[in-house]
Amino acid sequence: MADNYSELSFNEAKDLLRQWRENNERKSDEVLRVWSVIFEHGVKKLGNEKHLVLEQVFYAALDCHYYTVASYCSLMLQEEFPGSFRVARHVAALHEAQENYEEALNTLNNIIRLDETNAAARKRVVAILKAQGQIQAAIKELVDYLKKFMSDVEAWQELSELYLQVQEYARAAFCAEELLLHQPHNHLAHQRLADIRYTMGGVENMELAKLYYCKALKLNPENMRALLGLFLTTNNLLTHYKSSGNSGKRKEAWRLCQWAQAATARQTRARPEPNAAPLANAMLQLAITD
Amino acid sequence: MAELLLDPNIRLWVFLPIVIITFLVGIVRHYVSIILSSQKKIELLQVQDSQVMIRARLLRENGKYLPRQSFAMRRHWFNNEETGYFKVQKRAATSQNPMTDPGMMTDMLKGNVTNVLPMIVIGGWINWMFSGFLTTKVPFPLTLRFKPMLQRGVELAYLDASWVSSASWYFLNVFGLRTIYALVLGENNAADQSKIMQEQMSGAAMAMPPDPKAAFKAEWEALEITEHKWALATIETDLLASFVEKEKTH
Amino acid sequence: MSVVKLKDNKPEPVAYSDAALRNNAVVVEYCRTSMAALSGSTAGVLGLTGLNGFAFYVFSVVVLWVMFMIKAGPNWHKYYVSRQSLLTSGFFGALFTYVLFWTFIYGMVHVY
Repeated sequence: MADNYSELSFNEAKDLLRQWRENNERKSDEVLRVWSVIFEHGVKKLGNEKHLVLEQVFYAALDCHYYTVASYCSLMLQEEFPGSFRVARHVAALHEAQENYEEALNTLNNIIRLDETNAAARKRVVAILKAQGQIQAAIKELVDYLKKFMSDVEAWQELSELYLQVQEYARAAFCAEELLLHQPHNHLAHQRLADIRYTMGGVENMELAKLYYCKALKLNPENMRALLGLFLTTNNLLTHYKSSGNSGKRKEAWRLCQWAQAATARQTRARPEPNAAPLANAMLQLAITD
Repeated sequence: MAELLLDPNIRLWVFLPIVIITFLVGIVRHYVSIILSSQKKIELLQVQDSQVMIRARLLRENGKYLPRQSFAMRRHWFNNEETGYFKVQKRAATSQNPMTDPGMMTDMLKGNVTNVLPMIVIGGWINWMFSGFLTTKVPFPLTLRFKPMLQRGVELAYLDASWVSSASWYFLNVFGLRTIYALVLGENNAADQSKIMQEQMSGAAMAMPPDPKAAFKAEWEALEITEHKWALATIETDLLASFVEKEKTH
Repeated sequence: MSVVKLKDNKPEPVAYSDAALRNNAVVVEYCRTSMAALSGSTAGVLGLTGLNGFAFYVFSVVVLWVMFMIKAGPNWHKYYVSRQSLLTSGFFGALFTYVLFWTFIYGMVHVY
């Protein structure tokens, strides 16, 4: 698709925007360029898609810091739906983008006060706190949120990340486990938990990390990060078993380690990418020769 | 069984209008119900309850992917005698009477306005306006059993069962056009009368808000008897074995 | 149509993406309804009666199934759980639509 968006006809532009909306494509820059086409012809002609397009353009404008366009869209929507929470969230988002965090928090708190089941507004509050760098406050808010909305996968993921930032690995691991409960077939969930366990260190955590890396690889054999993680954990365990003299477990770890190395080399050969080659070499350098 | 000859005017002024009217009424009703539908106000407690139930169910189903300790910890949090979530949370086990809740009443009224009223009005009008016509003949033979179904309003004992009266043609359309509505209006549209009728049959039990106390108790029991089976116990050997196999086949 | 299958390791149970599966079912249902309406109208215009009409329905269902298979290509298992259910599911639901259109067009063209 060339970027001659200004030559689109009105209907083409409308269809393009709808297509992006339905596929959840962000494409903020492109949306704004298409918007200029539509704007020339008049927003009224959009018919019943008008408000959806306005919202799409609003978020696109926020992404690109075109605040005049954003506030235009926001005002249009406010005029149409004065009492809507969705539109009130736009106002908050506009404040937030311009870094008027106080105003944004006020608006969001108003929404929550009026409609306490509004999950999106509550999560936005957490995001603002995070943007302000108040990680502890954000964690507290998110924990409160999760007490009420316990099966929100994304919130668990975010909480896990926040805990990682403040290096509370045990709690981060708890959140990652929760993530795993919700998506047991997602190899990235397994890999995330394994990463955390590996970071925590200790033989027990290493063993767990090894198992979760294995599961991640079983679900997706091409997961490079899990391969590297498996290699590192087994290496770590090898040194441990060497000193404690547990030969049975050591042999097992040795086999896995060898296999991870071989698999990495195989994949590097299968997909010659500029970045992949050094990884195998680096692993070779790290490897324990026995 | 002599062939009947129908006046072509019946085709133009009865047969075709019934199809068009049924179809358009369905469309109008879809949009009217969109206008009338009010966003349901949900209680925070209700949301919390349902999310807790989801989480407990997931723990039962996918708990095998967690280490035994993590699993036991979560179960303890749900089921512990003194502080467990299912034990501590006391929900009022009142079965809400829909008549006392004005919001529920308006909802019911709106449902009736969009669903039942047009059925009665349009059905009655069609019956009155187009009564007594034979409209068409189904292109396949039918047994006499179908006569009351297809020849409503035409009581002729010796008429072949394949002929369809106007009132029956209307009902055939009401039920037959549902898939077409799905085509034109998208899934989950409100034009589908027959689905609503099914709901009305079982509606009494469905409309009641589920009793959280009983649900908690059931979930507590289910969780209590769940055994932890560590799914990753043999993953290492599985992993190695599956790749060795693949190597061989290649 | 989106790719459904996530993984396939022979001894393991296969995991399916629920949303994608549902999306595919909706698309198939859409095609099936269109097919029923179109073939019903065709049967009506042709003036098929009795068993011929039902044979035509079965024929068009099979044709639609073959078209699905051609469209999906050799890796059909990426999109559907089973080929058989693609053929048989919704058979009677679409039959009702077919009969309605068949009767309607037959009535318009041949009865009067």
